[in-house]
Amino acid sequence: MLVMRRRAGESFMIGERIEIEVLEMTGSRVKLGIVAPEEYVIVRKEARITRDENLTAARKVDSKTIAALLHRLTS
Amino acid sequence: MPRLLTTYFGEIDFADASVFEFPHGLPGFETEHAFVFLRQPHTEPLMFMQSLGDPKLCFILLPILVADPQYRVNFDKEDIAALRLPPGRQPRIGEDILCAAILRAADDEQPEPTVNLMAPVVVNLKDKIGMQVIQADSGYSHRQPLFSRQETSPCS
Repeated sequence: MLVMRRRAGESFMIGERIEIEVLEMTGSRVKLGIVAPEEYVIVRKEARITRDENLTAARKVDSKTIAALLHRLTS
Repeated sequence: MPRLLTTYFGEIDFADASVFEFPHGLPGFETEHAFVFLRQPHTEPLMFMQSLGDPKLCFILLPILVADPQYRVNFDKEDIAALRLPPGRQPRIGEDILCAAILRAADDEQPEPTVNLMAPVVVNLKDKIGMQVIQADSGYSHRQPLFSRQETSPCS
């Protein structure tokens, strides 16, 4: 992992077209500004994790699975 | 009463009042905007969140306080506004909101079922509007094992 130190107001580039600027720091939080071409989807990592979990969870819903879960939950 | 043919429950009747609107869908299912919640005595404590738009799309849910009796959900101003909840105070589970965790059954990748405590499904019971509220810095896991190693139920 590349590690770099930046102050508020400073930025860095990823390739030629993506710029990330540190806008503000308050307490333990950092506010970032991101400039990127439209084709890049930018989401928080938790949202991506949640998407993957949702897609997986929705694949395994059937009566056998439900019966097995109920058996363990209520026994 | 409207009727819906579902993959897992066959034909179900539902009242219009039991339909919840998800304006942004769920992550991964952004175009699914309407769900009904199904609870049946013989499937307690599980709940099911069935899409009205896709008969095949259904999630297994567990009420958040069954999944973790100590669970604390935290809403920021944007969440409160998006859910049209009264501003200025944290909503109460069971009174203002229904809050439940999506359950992921055991599969090839993981041998035990888990619940996503990091991103509970929250619905405003009064205005019938819902979303998945991501608890970014809560420390809650997106893959909390449902059962401890001793096989004890989280409801006992």
